[in-house]
Amino acid sequence: MLPHNSSPFPAPSPTDLSRRDFLARTGIGVAGLLLGPGVLLESCSPAGSATSHIQGGLRGADHAVGHLLRTPGQLPAPSQELSTDILIVGGGVAGLAARRELARHGHEPLLLELEARTGGNAASGQNPVSAYPWGAHYLPVPDARNHELLAFLRESGVITGVDEASGQPIYNEYHLCHDPEERLLLNGHWQQGLVPEVGVPAADRAQITRFFRVIGELKQARGTDGRDAFAIPLDHSSTDVQFRRLDQLSFAAYLDREGFTSPYLRWYLDYSCRDDYGATAAQVSAWAGLHYFAARKGHAHNATATDVLTWPEGNGFLVEQLRRQGKGTILPGTVACQLQETPAGVEVLAYDASTRRTIRIRARQVLLAVPHFVAQRLLAGIEGTTQPAQPLHHAPWLVANLTINGLPQGPGQPLCWDNVGYGGASVGYVNANHQHLSLSADGPRVITLYWPLTDAPPAVARRQAYQTTYAEWLPRILAELEHLHPGATPHVQRVEAWVWGHGMVAPTPGFLWGPERAKLAQPLRQRIFFAHSDYSGMSIFEEAFYQGLRATHEMRAAV
Amino acid sequence: MANATTDAPPAAPERARRGTARQDAQSVLLLGSVFVIATCGLIYELIAGTLASYLLGDSVTQFSTIIGAYLFSMGVGSWLSRYLGGALLKWFIRLEILVGLVGGFSAPLLFILFEYVASFRLILYALVGLTGILVGLEIPLLMRILENRFEFKDLVSRVFTFDYIGALLASLIFPLVLVPQLGLMRTSLLFGALNVVVAAVALYRFAETRPYRRSFAALMAAALLALAVTFGYAGRIQRYTETLAFQDQVIFAKSTIYQRIVLTKNQRELRLFLNGNLQFSSQDEYRYHEALVHPAMQALPNARRVLVLGGGDGLAVRELLKYPQLQQIRLVDLDAGMTELFKQNHLLTALNQRSFFNPKVQVVNGDAYQWVRQDTTRYDCLIIDFPDPANYSIGKLYSAAFYQELHRLLAPGGKLVVQSTSPYVARQSFWCIAHTLQAAGFHTIPYHCYVPSFGEWGYVLAGENGHWRPNAGPLPRGLRYVTPVTIRQMLDFPPDMAEVPTDINQLNNQALVRYFEEDWGPYVH
Repeated sequence: MLPHNSSPFPAPSPTDLSRRDFLARTGIGVAGLLLGPGVLLESCSPAGSATSHIQGGLRGADHAVGHLLRTPGQLPAPSQELSTDILIVGGGVAGLAARRELARHGHEPLLLELEARTGGNAASGQNPVSAYPWGAHYLPVPDARNHELLAFLRESGVITGVDEASGQPIYNEYHLCHDPEERLLLNGHWQQGLVPEVGVPAADRAQITRFFRVIGELKQARGTDGRDAFAIPLDHSSTDVQFRRLDQLSFAAYLDREGFTSPYLRWYLDYSCRDDYGATAAQVSAWAGLHYFAARKGHAHNATATDVLTWPEGNGFLVEQLRRQGKGTILPGTVACQLQETPAGVEVLAYDASTRRTIRIRARQVLLAVPHFVAQRLLAGIEGTTQPAQPLHHAPWLVANLTINGLPQGPGQPLCWDNVGYGGASVGYVNANHQHLSLSADGPRVITLYWPLTDAPPAVARRQAYQTTYAEWLPRILAELEHLHPGATPHVQRVEAWVWGHGMVAPTPGFLWGPERAKLAQPLRQRIFFAHSDYSGMSIFEEAFYQGLRATHEMRAAV
Repeated sequence: MANATTDAPPAAPERARRGTARQDAQSVLLLGSVFVIATCGLIYELIAGTLASYLLGDSVTQFSTIIGAYLFSMGVGSWLSRYLGGALLKWFIRLEILVGLVGGFSAPLLFILFEYVASFRLILYALVGLTGILVGLEIPLLMRILENRFEFKDLVSRVFTFDYIGALLASLIFPLVLVPQLGLMRTSLLFGALNVVVAAVALYRFAETRPYRRSFAALMAAALLALAVTFGYAGRIQRYTETLAFQDQVIFAKSTIYQRIVLTKNQRELRLFLNGNLQFSSQDEYRYHEALVHPAMQALPNARRVLVLGGGDGLAVRELLKYPQLQQIRLVDLDAGMTELFKQNHLLTALNQRSFFNPKVQVVNGDAYQWVRQDTTRYDCLIIDFPDPANYSIGKLYSAAFYQELHRLLAPGGKLVVQSTSPYVARQSFWCIAHTLQAAGFHTIPYHCYVPSFGEWGYVLAGENGHWRPNAGPLPRGLRYVTPVTIRQMLDFPPDMAEVPTDINQLNNQALVRYFEEDWGPYVH
């Protein structure tokens, strides 16, 4: 389950240059910018092979537009001028949440989105079989104290009312993940739930029980400041040193220290970290690893803390709601290339790839709702910017959408929403048709395979991922599928793959509660503001949403 | 047969004796063949007749016309035998292989082809005709082969004696041994193989067959192999499908994209199974369907429109059509294979009284959940007759979310009724359905009745308000089970079926499917 957010900075419109040419020219640093869709390099496997019936391609990025960001001097002279009170750069969750919040206060900001559609990491697609996610695809039932998020969900029809007796929100049943939710292929058997159980030795089970007892205590734990030890948004967590020092060591080191050595438990926790952070337990901090479990405190009349909200198109549903609830023009396919301060505010040069025109935009305030490394590039030459000691850890991901006609099932639990193989290289697949209500049991469906590329350091893994062709990805994707469903390949009709170069930020030790994170998000001279899940250190919908709101409050306070 | 042996004529008495002994042995062999082929011939006739009456209904007509057609074709075969000349034994061997193949594959072929209902009769009678012609050729041919070995009176006497004894044997073992032990498909294949064996024995016992032995032996081996493989495959099919699982004869089986429909029959009743689960027995389905429809409908004397969800057998619709005030009955069933079957099969249209052909009735083949979400009509009564919640897909059709959609479809004062599995066997499941309807904002009236082939069966009647009486309005005339008194009795739940606390069935917990597994598990495994 790739969680929720992070606004990438990709480009639309096709190009006739291959990805490899592009990489050779622009270098890996900029390659990282170009995460999104745009170019679909249609291709097929060699005729006659066992996979020659499979259609599909690799979705890549457009180099031409991204290149401009690196060399703004090559922009054509501006042929259009716009002025706006507030300019938002980036239409991911943070940017759209800020836009929605600004609309509630009567603002109509101008928003620039590099892609043809807003959505960022919550991008989605659609084919005749189903809508499907390209990235983030679920939202856990939120903590009832997260009032802003709940208000948004009410407005979106996700919360339909409040139970009079308990005062708890009632969720739209169509949006709660239908049962059966999760299964794990372990020892040749599909078991219910992802925590290993079937054939797990008693000693390991005892450790697993002990771990969840610790989590149970941490869920309840409060600091001396009265705040929860672990909260979402994470900035609402207790500042007590006893909790925050858990950010200093890696999750793996913490588990070793506490005697959690069971390979089954460690596999599960490593899977969880890869799934939510795109990094292993050795790469993320103990505070973050524990937060994954201990911060989930959702309450609902008709759901529990372990329930999640999901849609066939994943969080594409939520970003579409955010977009509709905001106001002001959105310029899609437009990349902000250069930023300058003026006496009246900020001036941005943006390039519209479809008309090939440069637009000069004057704004009183600008909100950079883009990943930190993109913001840094835009701010080149601007005074007072903070550089992190080392680049943020952004893991690359491969996401593949497979259209299949039937799926040979093994023994045990039937097809679930989330389907994971013990020890697999990927973190399993999600059934996009799961929330469909139709009875047609074994018709065609779309499954979305998520694969954090954690075998090498992010920069290396990213370079390798970008250099991998569709013909090379396809057998790897099918091997993952065959591991879960032997004999499935003949049923696969289509495989679309998407490489996210900077899939999500990982909360490496020291990042969440070190001095740097807060500094990076500091506004510059009440003109330039920052909103992105990078500034939370965790790429989840709730954090991106919170960052959008936080930035909005700062902007309003600055007036 | 003129040249029974190549080493005739008898020169010495010893040789003559030996030759006569051999000839006698061969004659006995040929008469034995008469016995076997007579048995096989009658078996094919019985298979065709049985299959026709199983598949098409009306056994008197089917048996009568099949026997007539078969005998007539035998006559045609006998007449045609005069055109066969030359090496008669070779013809005989050829013929036996052919009879073995045609007769042997007749039952599997007819079972498979029955799905193509439109041309089924044509195929059936063509096959009966072909088998009849081939069988009709056998005896005249054999008599010609034997004509020089016996005097005419002995020949006629012996051949027909063996013929009729074979017929007697066939008529006895067919119903008593073959159908119960082997089933129609295997019986037909087995007797096909016997025909081929007759050919094989003739091939090896008569020296004159030497020139073509090799090629015929290969042919027979291939025929026997095909029959044997199909025989073995029939067993595998049976393991996977129904024939062994059902106690009665399977007379129809078809896999649609949604389910496997199987119809079985014995002397008293027809039974319909969907994916192996009994849907009704013709013997007592009236109890189930009267109890499903009339408690709700008798309370709605002004009802105009009814929506039936599921119920592709048209039997609930048959009950609804007993209310002349109804103007429109719309039935939504997922499976066109099911509703078509109940429009076309004679036995089934007899049961549902051709309810789907009534002009008031509209049959929609579609997904009930999708239908309910987009339908804007208001109905006075909703009859919900889905299969039991045995899997997660069907479980969604019993969820609080689904029931909430129904408010919109219900006219003021309208009622709905949900078939709710057995409150005796699946007590938690039954009450879970009742509680889920309550959670969706309905007033509920749970009730149950006894259906012998199902056991105790439960229903939940529900409405926006609790106004309902067991004797609110007149019941249609001619009901066999439901009366105001039985309705009142249906409301009483003895302690072994009394209400138990349960969770609400929601899409995100599928509590009902889990209860159902728990409840029925001990009965199934």
